[in-house]
Amino acid sequence: MSARYHRPVAPSTWLKELWGSRDLVTALTIRELQARYKHAVLGCLWALLVPLTLMLVFTTVFRHVAHVETGDAPYAVFAYIGLLVWTFFSTSVSLASQSLLNNAQLFNRVYFPREVFPLGAVAVAAVDNGVALVALGLLFLLTGTSPHVSLAHAPALVVLLGVVYAWTIAVSLIVATAVVYLRDLRHLLPIVLQVGIIATPVAYGFDAIGGQRRWYSLANPLGPVIDGFRRVLLYDRAPQWGLVGLGALSAGLGLVVAYAVFKRLETGLADIA
Amino acid sequence: MRRQNLPRWRWALQDVSLRAEPGDSIGLVGPNGSGKTTLLRLLTRVMYPYAGRVEVGGRVGALIEIRAGLHPELSGAQNVYFFGALLGLRRREVARRFDEIVSFAELEHALDRPVKYYSSGMQMRLGFAAASFLDPAVLLVDEVLAVGDASFQQRCLARMRELLGAGKTLIFVSHDLAAVEMTCRRALWLEEGRVRADGDVRDVLNAYRESVDQHSAARRLGSAEEVSLLSVSVLGERAGTVVAGAAAVVDLVLANTQPHWCLVCVGVSEDPSSPIFVLRRDLHLQAGTTRMRCTIENLPLPGGRYWLWAGVFDRAGRPLSAWHAACAFDVAGPALDVPPPAVVLRAPVYVGSVWEIEAG
Repeated sequence: MSARYHRPVAPSTWLKELWGSRDLVTALTIRELQARYKHAVLGCLWALLVPLTLMLVFTTVFRHVAHVETGDAPYAVFAYIGLLVWTFFSTSVSLASQSLLNNAQLFNRVYFPREVFPLGAVAVAAVDNGVALVALGLLFLLTGTSPHVSLAHAPALVVLLGVVYAWTIAVSLIVATAVVYLRDLRHLLPIVLQVGIIATPVAYGFDAIGGQRRWYSLANPLGPVIDGFRRVLLYDRAPQWGLVGLGALSAGLGLVVAYAVFKRLETGLADIA
Repeated sequence: MRRQNLPRWRWALQDVSLRAEPGDSIGLVGPNGSGKTTLLRLLTRVMYPYAGRVEVGGRVGALIEIRAGLHPELSGAQNVYFFGALLGLRRREVARRFDEIVSFAELEHALDRPVKYYSSGMQMRLGFAAASFLDPAVLLVDEVLAVGDASFQQRCLARMRELLGAGKTLIFVSHDLAAVEMTCRRALWLEEGRVRADGDVRDVLNAYRESVDQHSAARRLGSAEEVSLLSVSVLGERAGTVVAGAAAVVDLVLANTQPHWCLVCVGVSEDPSSPIFVLRRDLHLQAGTTRMRCTIENLPLPGGRYWLWAGVFDRAGRPLSAWHAACAFDVAGPALDVPPPAVVLRAPVYVGSVWEIEAG
């Protein structure tokens, strides 16, 4: 791979190219959303069904099998917040993993920055997530709890969302290219994501991780972020900034490295895909 | 290291150096698998060289595959915008050229239909129109033009010359050598990834035609046919030189094993494709060798190099000796007058003319 010629361009050129392709990302996202929901009877309700079903399963299982301490917040809402974050992440990654291979026919045309495909996948997952967010409002109503939404929380929510996006985009970029070069990963990815939903504090609280939470936050920034969302929305407390900071560090570094790796491997995509 | 261990690894292109200025037109010719499309893909930045450098300034419009730039699920109209987005154009920039693109492609009636239901000719028309009207600085066109009908091909060639006139750069791959010759000033002949010749389009194409002919002559040697063509030549009446507008003699020697009623055809072409004219003669061939002379009274060809084709057929049209380019010959005389820009000559015919000009 080291013999592969790569363009001697600066990251500023990448970003300029990417900015020039913003219409393309929009077009791809709309196109993908149409393809996803046009011929489905339930349409975009499917975006709701995945997290809702899992939430019902978790609620049932954890009510009867194991007890999760959720304070004065209902477990359903508690789990659903974790599921929203996790579903966004896993939908992004699995869509991104197919995005380059599915669009291989587009590669033989014109040059445009290839990251538009994984980024389009993240955008599709974001729209899905927006739909699923509606259900969160309904859940609050149904369970008779009220979310602690105030302007004072807005900066915390923005930071938490920023970490989620940075981490999701980083992993999506890496997975998208890795799958092209090593097709086996297509079979491995669903397993990893299934393990991930257990290994991430989605169904249980972040405290259950125990004493290794610093290392955990570095390895999986989604952990402290989910915890942060719950603290803010359910308990009216601030996120654990120390741990969120470690997660943000990991996500930020991950994004930079993933983008650089992607741009390096991008040059060979047309030969292989 | 790793690459040398791969058993079937080979360079698709090697030692290719090419520099084109705005307004240059380069035709790429060569047999299948010689690296023409790979070179175009490198220029579009779709592929990258393992060694060497490619620099392209400005936007590249490319038509490399029939579906190039088209998304099968989107409608024709959406595809125009999608193609623009692929090139990094803003929506309103595409909107400005939208009507031109649609009317050039003649697809007004099919705009709302998904492109997957288009015929390959329609897809090619849309692709070419979008690639050539969305302000490319460099236009790359691969063999796909052959999919279009004759009139659309002519309009594509005209459009390519129009872009050249506007100072754009054109790289054109085609097996239709006449189209290359009419459109490009310079030609690059690739073979097995290397440059065989690079220079003025006429010189390169003549060398290429000669090699194609030698190749097909070599292939013919092995074939056993009922009538064999022992020798073919074209000579002028005086001193052997064939002169434009004067008489020329085609000399054929045939050998056959048994008597045949047959049809002997000869034709003349400018390149290894369709002939400009064909002459034929029915006759009863005796067993043994037969010498035939056909005198063309006023050879209607301008100066240049041509091919003589010959073939012998039975009454049912079955070939006794297959139709093939048998020899090349040169015609001395005035070259053809250059047509006005964007006018395409169907075939080079020499017509003697006298102009009288009276002032007042």
